[in-house]
Amino acid sequence: MIHPVDILLTLVLLSVLFAFASSRLPVLIRILAFQGVVVSIVPFFLGHDMATGSIVFTLATLTIRGIIIPWSIYSMIKKMGIKREMETVVGYNVSVFVSLLLIVAAPMLSHKFNLTFFSGSTLITPTAITLVVAGMFLLMARRNAIAMVLGYIMMENGIYLVGTSFSARTQHIVEFGILLDVLAGVMIMAIMLQSMSHKYDNLDTALLRELKE
Amino acid sequence: MIKSIIFWLLAMLLAPFFSAVILKIKAFFGGKKGPPLLINYYTLIKLFKKGSVYSTSTTFIFKMGPMVSLCSAVTVLLFLPIAGHAPVVSFDGDVIFILYLMGLGRFFTIAAAMDTASPFEGMGAAREAYFPIICEATMFMILVLFYKLTGELSLATYFSGSQPAGLWHVAGAPLLFVSMAFFIILLTENSRVPVDDPATHLELTMIHEVMVLDHSGPDLALIELGSFIKLFFFSTFVARLICPFDMGNSVFNTAMFGAALLLVYVAAGITESVMARYRMDRVPRFVLTSFALAFFATVITLEFVK
Amino acid sequence: MVEVIFLVPFITGLAAFFLPGIAGRVVLGLTGAVHLLMSILLWVNRPDAFFPEFFAVTPEGLLSLIVISLLFFLISIYVTEYLREADIRSENIFIGSILLFLSTMTMVTLSDHIMVMWIAIEATTLASAPLIYTHRTAKALEATWKYVLICSVGIAMALLGSILLTLAMDAGNVNVPVSFSALTGVAKQLDPTWLKAGFVFILVGYGTKMGLAPMHTWLPDAHSEAPSPASALLSGVLLNCAYLGIFKTNKIMFAAGLGDFSGMILMVFGLMSIIAAATFILKQTEYKRMLAYSSIENMGIIAFGTGIGGIGAYGAILCLLHHSLIKSSLFLTSGNILFGFKSRFIGQTGNLVKLMPKTFVAFFAGFAGISGFPPFGIFIGELLIIVGAFRSGHYTMAAIFILSLCFIFAGFANHVMKISFGKAPSDTRIAITEKPCLVWPQYALLLTSLVLCFWMPDTLYQTIIDAVAAIGGGF
Repeated sequence: MIHPVDILLTLVLLSVLFAFASSRLPVLIRILAFQGVVVSIVPFFLGHDMATGSIVFTLATLTIRGIIIPWSIYSMIKKMGIKREMETVVGYNVSVFVSLLLIVAAPMLSHKFNLTFFSGSTLITPTAITLVVAGMFLLMARRNAIAMVLGYIMMENGIYLVGTSFSARTQHIVEFGILLDVLAGVMIMAIMLQSMSHKYDNLDTALLRELKE
Repeated sequence: MIKSIIFWLLAMLLAPFFSAVILKIKAFFGGKKGPPLLINYYTLIKLFKKGSVYSTSTTFIFKMGPMVSLCSAVTVLLFLPIAGHAPVVSFDGDVIFILYLMGLGRFFTIAAAMDTASPFEGMGAAREAYFPIICEATMFMILVLFYKLTGELSLATYFSGSQPAGLWHVAGAPLLFVSMAFFIILLTENSRVPVDDPATHLELTMIHEVMVLDHSGPDLALIELGSFIKLFFFSTFVARLICPFDMGNSVFNTAMFGAALLLVYVAAGITESVMARYRMDRVPRFVLTSFALAFFATVITLEFVK
Repeated sequence: MVEVIFLVPFITGLAAFFLPGIAGRVVLGLTGAVHLLMSILLWVNRPDAFFPEFFAVTPEGLLSLIVISLLFFLISIYVTEYLREADIRSENIFIGSILLFLSTMTMVTLSDHIMVMWIAIEATTLASAPLIYTHRTAKALEATWKYVLICSVGIAMALLGSILLTLAMDAGNVNVPVSFSALTGVAKQLDPTWLKAGFVFILVGYGTKMGLAPMHTWLPDAHSEAPSPASALLSGVLLNCAYLGIFKTNKIMFAAGLGDFSGMILMVFGLMSIIAAATFILKQTEYKRMLAYSSIENMGIIAFGTGIGGIGAYGAILCLLHHSLIKSSLFLTSGNILFGFKSRFIGQTGNLVKLMPKTFVAFFAGFAGISGFPPFGIFIGELLIIVGAFRSGHYTMAAIFILSLCFIFAGFANHVMKISFGKAPSDTRIAITEKPCLVWPQYALLLTSLVLCFWMPDTLYQTIIDAVAAIGGGF
């Protein structure tokens, strides 16, 4: 019997594949919104007994990760009329192969760890590892500043997924603090992006090479 | 057995009809009336009535090409379980045999194209050789997946009787990806938009069509028929995958299968109508997507089915 | 009581965003004074927190807190004059951010819960980003972008590490609050594999923030592009805050009996930072970047000393205190030099001794202090670390350590001599007068460092010993 979470997580893994193959920013943003939604509703399926606080917190996560962050970045792109194609360091076909390798490697790695904390779901750890590494990869392989921010968000999503096991044991006020920090971080990055596009009228980070050593 | 042979014959007979559905859909999207549904039969009859013209620079390979490619398509059809019925021929490992049989057909098409010594045809041949390589990788990946699920290597066990409904039950999500991968292969192998445009008139942008430019009359008819059958072959997979139900009633099953098949052709037609052909350098990425999907499905399955 | 100390600057910081220039400066100075007062009260009384599961007063936290308070108070005096001279367009944002920055750093020193610590450290990044971008130039933008992105990614790693620590609790079937003090108490029962993984991630994460090589790349850019008072804060106390995160995790590791593992990693990272600083400091052309690399060096020294443990750990804490005092004074002084010569380049400065004598005194004394001349505390700290390294038998590492220090000293001295006694460009006109507010804070900082060398109050000594005892430090 496949755990319901695993079906969702399969789609998340697939979305990583598409994120690596996609050359267009809006696609990437939609993918991240989807990941944000899935990642935040996972606790619903894991069979922790959900108190009111947990439900409120989950909904808050859903709103912030799934709607507010992607929407604000998307509206920023629209407002600034940024070029939607990304400049790359590593090409798309190679990226796809990397993501495939990643998807093979992540389950192997998680078998090594032998995690039994996640009730029933086999895919949580591999997905989390994949998301974290994929986020890092996007950070390094894309020269577009927005894509880098999106990579950071993807990484955060992965870390949050690892953290779902932990959500049972801390107060939600703490998790909420983490969430707000991430949100504020992304917002500050967004503001930086805006000033960057004013200064350079392009978000290719190859332009940011003035400061060296 | 008799039933299987009847289905086999029916498939060959109906393949041109289904291909015309795509034309009809495209015409519909273009706001035109479109050709009649039997257009392909008319074309075939017209072509068979004509004589062939052969360039003096060609050899027997050029004449052999169309024949071999049609024969490989017809033989491959023998192994295909249609509408859940047992195929005419089946043995363990026939899947690999089928893959190479199709490779043989392709090889002779390419060889015939090279034989004309036309630079355009050489270019088309190079592309025709390149893209299906990725498709073959995808199909082998799917094969690994099916082998993992059923433990056998024959089409009959994958697609006849209660399969692949059983497979859906075991590994639903991966099969969804496989269906998508198969549809991409279908588009690639049969030179449809967005990989190739069968209706194009510019040799530079063609892949498959450029290779058959020098064929005429009955030879062209054989090639056309072969491609109809090939399209039918791939569509059957997808149709069976998206409509795996077994109602117990043979007539009902067949009707449902026919409907699913029609749906696949309509889907292909819609894809052709709404999408533009990819730039040539974007095509490999599109085909790679199918490989990625299949690979992904396999990895996921290995994770689930211990 | 404990929580008030970071709530005050938080509230005044928020208010300062809406206050006009002069009022903002007054608020800044007042908050600095109140904060120092409260810190001293906290040091003396050591009260309990309202929310003991989140906050606690620890010896290492107190040390950092008192340094932050003192530094901030002196810097706030400097800032009032600095803002008059500098051309800063949105002063209220600058003052508001610097106050929020103070608030978040104070929160770091007081937090005991692992996740609250993470929240506070990430918040310091966010609060300080506007400070680095104060000048609104393309370079400042680039520096801020690097700072925010690299530090956020690094800190995301630290979050992963913190979560792995909670997995270590799950795997060990421990059920205690997720706080450093509670975990140190039950460290033996935690699952060692997860604990190790958690430590590595936390070290990489907070190490990024602390400026350990090879994750240091943001540091020279940010420190050189920020306005000098902000650089002083970044270098003087922000790095300490990140170090605090590592230190507290190291405490758990030590209590779990994994002190050798964590110590080795700390030493390797520390040594790498020192070597990186030695390589880059030789060919610097800007004096603020030179100071920034010196910060990387000192963070390396501190990590190295912490890794050695024993007498070295004591030395590391000494270095930490003195580095904060001296380096922030140096950064403030570099602000004066920038005012005077209107250039960041070493080549366009010179003859400081004649042109800006008061600044020269602060600059040269600071140089002597930071590069480990005998009367200053860094000398004692480094000496203790070297002794500790030899005692524990890490001869090769100690040799590399000493050699790198020599290199850094040579490079540093070369640049400083050029600035102080070299020939200034002929068209140099010093644009400012050296007002008391622009030099006395530096003198005060250096003097504090000097006094601490000759006379260390018992309470301070005892607090340091308490702090390092938890990681096997002391004599």
